[in-house]
Parts: sequence; C-alpha cells; structure tokens
Amino acid sequence: MPKVLVVAETKNGELKKPTLELLSLAKSMNLQAESVLIGKEVSSQADLLAGYGSGKVYVADDAGLEIYNTSKYTTLVADAVGQSGATQVWLTSSETGRDLTPRVAARMGVGALSDVTELEIDGDNITATRPCMATKLVQQCRFTKDGLRVISIRAGAYEAEEASPETADTVSLSIPEGDARVEVRDIQVEESNEIELNEASIVVSVGRGTGGTEGCDFVKPLAGEMGAAFGASRAVCDAGWMPHKHQVGQTGTVVSPDFYFAFGISGAIQHLAGMSGSKVIVAINKDAEAPIFKVADYGIVGDLFKAVPVFQEEVAKIKN
Amino acid sequence: MEIIVPIRQVPDVALNIRVNEGKVVEDGVSFVISSWDETAIEGALQMTEELGGEVTLLGIGPERVSEALRKGLAMGAHKAIHVLYEEGQTDSFGYAKIMAKVMEGRNYDLILTGKQAQDTDAGLTASMLAEFLDLPQVTNIIRFSDLAVDGMTLYRKGDHGTEVIGIKLPAVVTVNDSLNEPRLASMRGIMMAKKKPMETLSPSDLGMGAEELGLQGSMTEVLKFEKPESRKEGERFEGEETETVPMAIQKLVSEAKLAV
Repeated sequence: MPKVLVVAETKNGELKKPTLELLSLAKSMNLQAESVLIGKEVSSQADLLAGYGSGKVYVADDAGLEIYNTSKYTTLVADAVGQSGATQVWLTSSETGRDLTPRVAARMGVGALSDVTELEIDGDNITATRPCMATKLVQQCRFTKDGLRVISIRAGAYEAEEASPETADTVSLSIPEGDARVEVRDIQVEESNEIELNEASIVVSVGRGTGGTEGCDFVKPLAGEMGAAFGASRAVCDAGWMPHKHQVGQTGTVVSPDFYFAFGISGAIQHLAGMSGSKVIVAINKDAEAPIFKVADYGIVGDLFKAVPVFQEEVAKIKN
Repeated sequence: MEIIVPIRQVPDVALNIRVNEGKVVEDGVSFVISSWDETAIEGALQMTEELGGEVTLLGIGPERVSEALRKGLAMGAHKAIHVLYEEGQTDSFGYAKIMAKVMEGRNYDLILTGKQAQDTDAGLTASMLAEFLDLPQVTNIIRFSDLAVDGMTLYRKGDHGTEVIGIKLPAVVTVNDSLNEPRLASMRGIMMAKKKPMETLSPSDLGMGAEELGLQGSMTEVLKFEKPESRKEGERFEGEETETVPMAIQKLVSEAKLAV
C-alpha cells in the first residue's frame, strides 16, 4: 500500500498553495498521506495539513529553521520518512524543493524525478511526465528499481481543493545540528505584500522594452490593479531594474497562470520555457517580429508606454 | 584554488528538436555546452584569476563530448577529463555515481556546475554528487564574495529572498545564469586549447562494472519523448493603442473570461 510523505512549505508561517496542491492530489488518488512541516513558528499549520488529509504531521519548529538549510532539512525529511514508513516523498518544484529533492533521494540511496507535471500511480509503479529541453519536449519517465520514490511536482500542475483545519496528530522531530561547514547567515528580503509568482492566476511581466527601472515602475501599478503578480524577464533583473525574485523563466520562477501579460518582453527561449504553460498569453511589444508574438494568444503591436494607461482605464471600467 | 567543473553537452535547444518514435533525433542536431555550465566555467575562471589555481572540466559521454570540452578549454579552462561513456541512457543518479568515482583521489577545493542541464532540465546530479561525496552543497547562486582558498560567501536565490551562506571548502556549488555573462573564446584561446591536456578515461578505468552503468546503474528511465502541442499564434492587434488595447481587452473578457 503506497504511502506519501508530503514535504510542506510555508511562507510567513502559512502553508503555500503548491503544498496544498500536493495533498489535494494525494487525496484525489486515494493515497494515504502524511506530511513533514519544517520552519520557525509553523506548528499552527499542522491542523490545516490534517484538514487536507495528512494523517500524521511530523513537525520541526525551531528558530534555527527560519531560513532554508539543506543539511538540516535533509536530515529532518529523512527522519520523517523513517518514522512514517512512507513509500513516496513528494516535494514541490520550488527553489527549496529543487535543492532538497536530489539530496533527500541520494541520502535514501534512490533516484528522483523532478519538476513533474503529470503523475500516474498504480501502487508504487509510477509514470511521470515532465517537460525537458526548455519545454520543447516532454518526457515520460518511470522508476526502475524498488525502493522509496522521491518526486517533485511543478506548482500549478494540479489544483488545490478547499479544506478546513482539523485537529492534527503531530509528531515532534528532534532538531538536527546541521552541517558545521555551512553557515546560513541571513536572507535578504524585499518586504512586500505582493502575490507570489507561482501562486497568481494573473501575471503581469515586464521586459527590456521598459527601458529601465522607471519604465518597470510605470507598468507595476497595473499588476496591483489587476490583482496580478509582477514578473520580469532575465534582462530586466540582470540589469538591476527589478530584484531577481521577480524573474520569470527557467532561471527564475516557472509560472503557469490563467493569464500572462508580457509588456516589452521579446521572448528569449528560457523566458518562453518559463511561461508557455500559461493558459492565455497577451503580448504587448513595439517590435512586430518579437518571438513572444509566436506564442501569444493576443498580440498587441504597440508602445507599452501608451498601452499601459489604456489598460488601466479599461481595467477600472471592468471593476466598476 | 583547484576547481572541477562538470559540464554537459546538450542539443542546442534554440534550434528545432525532432522526435521520432519516442526518441530524440540526433541527426543534424547541433551540440553545445549546457548554458548554465558555461556560466559555471566563467565563474570558475574568475575565481582562479583572483586566487590562482586551475579549472578542470569534466565531461561524460561519447566521443563528441570532447568537442564541448575543447570549447571550454578555449574559454580558458586549464585541463579536461573526458569519461568516454557510450552506455546510452543513464539517469542523474547514475551520472552522479560516475562523477563521484572520478573525484576519488583527486585534489579539488570546489566542484562548480550549472543548476541543471538544458536537455533534461532535471537539476538533480550535482546535489546527488554532493551527498555521495559527503560535501556541503549550495545551489542556484547568483553571486559570490569573500573568496578564499578555504571558503567563501555565496548568495543563493531562494524562494523568499537571497540567502547569504558562508561555506567552508571543499563543497559542491551550482550556478544560476544570473551569476555572470560567459566570455567568448578568443582565437588565441582556441589555438591554445588544442595543446591543453585532456585525460580520457573509460568506466573500467574508474573500476566501474556493467551493473553500475547505463540503465543498470540508473534508478529511473525515460520511456519516451514527445513533442507537446505547440502554441499557435492567436490574434494580432495593430494600430493606435487607444483602439487596440480596448479591443483586445474586450476579447479577453468575452472569449477568455478574464476577470479582475
């Protein structure tokens, strides 16, 4: 009987949507699920995990776990796997998941399948579909040996159902020392109430066509008005016009919102690979030859500086 | 500082990739160094330019991989190791095991490589290697500072900000392409690359038997490749923004059900 251990992720003490997607997926597949919850002041989230069907919740709540730490997290997940007797570990394909997935797998002496967008499970036989070659292809993969299955699943690949908290059956994990060779000193955060890129149903992104920080700031209010997350191309982030956390693409955040608005983005291959899963793409660009138009459902050939105020007027009209 | 940079030769994904009967068609494909690995080579060169020492490239794969290694040598790497490997399909776990064997008995301070390879886009091998070698890992770095032979400060792009991490060497570090802009090989570099040492090893030179290679040495396999249905260009709006934008938005609301 397969049993899934979901590695839960939080932000500011609250569960992130991709974690809820994993638990919802386990439930829809009628799989027995437990979860491991790691962080600082996160214990309160155990009940919501239980509400999402997590039988047991293994909790590591410690001030020293506030910032992600490969060594500590790997030890904790391995500990939870041992205690739960899980046959599968599911992680999200966040930066935490990307770092942790292979390390946990190797610690357990097994392989992993990462960034999966489609999962079929028959007992512990798993067929996973995942994009590759900058999303030019998809590959269908499977595990070939017996043992634990370690899988990371792309945010947004599955829907999160609604659920209410229930009283959780929690198990406290002992807090590991961590690797003395690594000192996680600090995290540089830009304080904001902005919507997370990989959780938004609308993303408004800016590219080189904005011409600089001022141009980016010119577009940004529109994102707020639309209830959208604000994204940027690699060129914009590398030039320092916007912080790297806004970067959309294979190197930044891979997004698949319902609507993706690209203002002044030409459409470099790694950018396209990071957003072509969007349901509807809208491109605004002066250059009629820009590659972004090849993937856009609605392409507006025009000047973004003229287009943005009209967008703002129209959005205001819809809201009223 | 001695740095080993594992690189992967991949099909140029900027070009058309074809699939036939579930397999990637290699005929007519142009092979390049995976872009994140080029960033790692550049990073390693900058570190050795500051501190001295050598950059050693490591490539695993058939004869054609030597071309990718020569290209890295032309960028300025000092020497290369080519594991001539023709066992076909091998997963990240299998490659990490081979790399771990290559590292045995070698002197290095840092293993620096791309955060993922542009063909598999899996991003698993480096961290698995770190675990097999019992080394610390920091992935997805966008900057480094306080460079010294025994450690440095790394800036990792994490989920909630830039994580600032002090690390003691040796370690395994993977790079995000925001770290730098890789240099192009100069004509002189290309000439010099021809004379730089390239060590060619076979799996048996590494003491590895058939059970550790190819699918036997892997934990996962690819059943087939498919071309996803590609997006088609939709409708274009050209003209004055005061007309095109309202028209497009009207369609977004009526056809695509945009709600704000």
